[in-house]
Amino acid sequence: MEKVSSLSELGLATDIHRSLFRPIHHAAPPSPTKRRTKISVVGAGNVGMAIAQTILTQDLADELALVDAKPDLLRGEMLDLQHAAAFLPRTRILASTDYAVTADSDLCIVTAGARQVPGETRLDLLHRNVALFRLIVPPLARHSPAALLLVVSNPVDVLTYIAWKLSGFPPNRVIGSGTNLDSSRFRFLLADHLEVNAQDVQAYMVGEHGDSSVALWSSISVGGVPVLGQLASDDNKAAVVMEQEVLERIRKAVVDSAYEVIRLKGYTSWAIGYSVASLARSLLRDQHRIHPVSLLAAGFYGIPRDRQVFLSLPAQIGRSGILTVANLHLTDEEAACLQRSAETLWELQQKLEL
Amino acid sequence: MEKVSSLSELGLATDIHRSLFRPIHQAAPPSPTKRRTKISVVGAGNVGMAIAQTILTQDLADELALVDAKPDLLRGEMLDLQHAAAFLPRTRILASTDYAVTADSDLCIVTAGARQVPGETRLDLLHRNVALFKLIVPPLARHSPAALLLVVSNPVDVLTYITWKLSGFPPNRVIGSGTNLDSSRFRFLLADHLEVNAQDVQAYMVGEHGDSSVALWSSISVGGVPVLDQLASDDNNAAVVMEQEVLERIRKAVVDSAYEVIRLKGYTSWAIGYSVASLARSLLRDQHRIHPVSLLAAGFYGIPRDRQVFLSLPAQIGRSGVLTVANLHLTDEEAACLQRSAETLWELQQKLEL
Repeated sequence: MEKVSSLSELGLATDIHRSLFRPIHHAAPPSPTKRRTKISVVGAGNVGMAIAQTILTQDLADELALVDAKPDLLRGEMLDLQHAAAFLPRTRILASTDYAVTADSDLCIVTAGARQVPGETRLDLLHRNVALFRLIVPPLARHSPAALLLVVSNPVDVLTYIAWKLSGFPPNRVIGSGTNLDSSRFRFLLADHLEVNAQDVQAYMVGEHGDSSVALWSSISVGGVPVLGQLASDDNKAAVVMEQEVLERIRKAVVDSAYEVIRLKGYTSWAIGYSVASLARSLLRDQHRIHPVSLLAAGFYGIPRDRQVFLSLPAQIGRSGILTVANLHLTDEEAACLQRSAETLWELQQKLEL
Repeated sequence: MEKVSSLSELGLATDIHRSLFRPIHQAAPPSPTKRRTKISVVGAGNVGMAIAQTILTQDLADELALVDAKPDLLRGEMLDLQHAAAFLPRTRILASTDYAVTADSDLCIVTAGARQVPGETRLDLLHRNVALFKLIVPPLARHSPAALLLVVSNPVDVLTYITWKLSGFPPNRVIGSGTNLDSSRFRFLLADHLEVNAQDVQAYMVGEHGDSSVALWSSISVGGVPVLDQLASDDNNAAVVMEQEVLERIRKAVVDSAYEVIRLKGYTSWAIGYSVASLARSLLRDQHRIHPVSLLAAGFYGIPRDRQVFLSLPAQIGRSGVLTVANLHLTDEEAACLQRSAETLWELQQKLEL
């Protein structure tokens, strides 16, 4: 079999393997149905590469394919990961500008997207991203018709809707990273304040990923203790008042924390990398874990069934994608916020030509 | 105790913790000698951050401190890591332009360094880096007098020597990342060609990290089989000739692979991140593993005892740093190359003012 590794090109003999290793007798050829877990990442920028590298470090895939429009950047990033071979389990790393490299993926993660140009309206940005997604999503779907699609590019809710339409996939297999990371930032702030581990803080940001996300204060629990309920019933805490003003300031701080990182270091990468790797693990290892992710929200929490919009809601995810949506008890105000988000997104989607 | 988390600043009451959690009776205060593993990384550029993030993902430290001259970049990178709190074990992440933040580190990793300006001689670059290290190393050593120092900045061998001199530390506690990554690249190419896992390939690049590194062909073994001997004794492989020309081309390809990544993506980051995290693990977890790292080579492999130069040799490393140097059987040619490297570095060091 013709070897294509670089050492052959440099003159090293191609049959050394046979000299060092011998197959056992009567071995059957590999079963054609043998599955290797394959993840493709579209977009080799800061976000895509942080996701790819975290997936690699956490050993979540047997094969990792990278796609981008820039061939030199792509090859450089692929080599930089391959050079770490001595420190990692054996993962096959591929990269190409051709979507054929993504064939047969279990999970395709889309991070590619135009960034907002100063003076550009949100609608204009969306139009540019729709055009880009028309180039990305159909070939992805064609090469991996059974894959899960995970959209990270912003604005994630509308782009997940677009990916759903362009792919022709059932809605359970098209997911947006949504407020998964916002919720992590929310939990970090709360955990730091309460001196607990963030993993013991259950707190969701839901709805639209962006300025109008909804913080579900009524659903926060820490180590199993519902926080607002505990504070209301604790006589010692007469001084503790959870003022609406304070809560709204905290919510805004979570929303702004992404902008703060961008202002300070130019972009965000590490946190979204961990966030998406966490989603990848829950999906591919069928964990049935609850994550707030952007999904087809029609019919949930008072959102009309004909409003085919994607919004983040806490959902159980697993190998088939979205399994169920958690049935939280929202306050009237929280539900109203969600319904307003849905209307806004619906009107925006009407203006796109799909 | 005054809370300093951001939520206090936004108006959230500071005594909620007491309402949710109660301490056990008669608990003793924490023992003053309780150790938390602390790693400091100097330099928050692409290399420093890839190292920091990999250390975080691999859960190697309880505390991680970042130092850089640029406060905005530093704060942005720190926040980007902290925002992933929900997806990671609880690691305390600190960042400051003030070296006091590194106090009491178990391991200090130095990645800061000037990059070569076009037209600048190697000696000029070295002079700039000596000036920089005079600002970095003494405060690091002062704040963590018992730490292990790991130098990554290039040219790593001379800079590790400089770090040793400026720190006043014993030589076993001052290590350069050296050819640890070159060896990984070497093993990747061989493993890919031989269709084996890179971790089953034992192959060292030693000596100077750079153009004159030495590939120890005579010491390569795969799955325990010494490769050159096997090929020499295998009658079936009359066609396999390990020509010196071919070997030299392969060595050069390994050396050039870093330049190739830089040419394609602008810098290298991921592979050096994994390489240094691997060293951090072997050091802090006292693994007694053998890594080719830059160490005080005087007296080994024919290098005269008065040549106080740092070069990469395969060494056992553990909690006290460099434990022993492996006693490989080098060919006369390989030993001569090492001795020539030592002389070159010695002459270069003479020209520096320390």
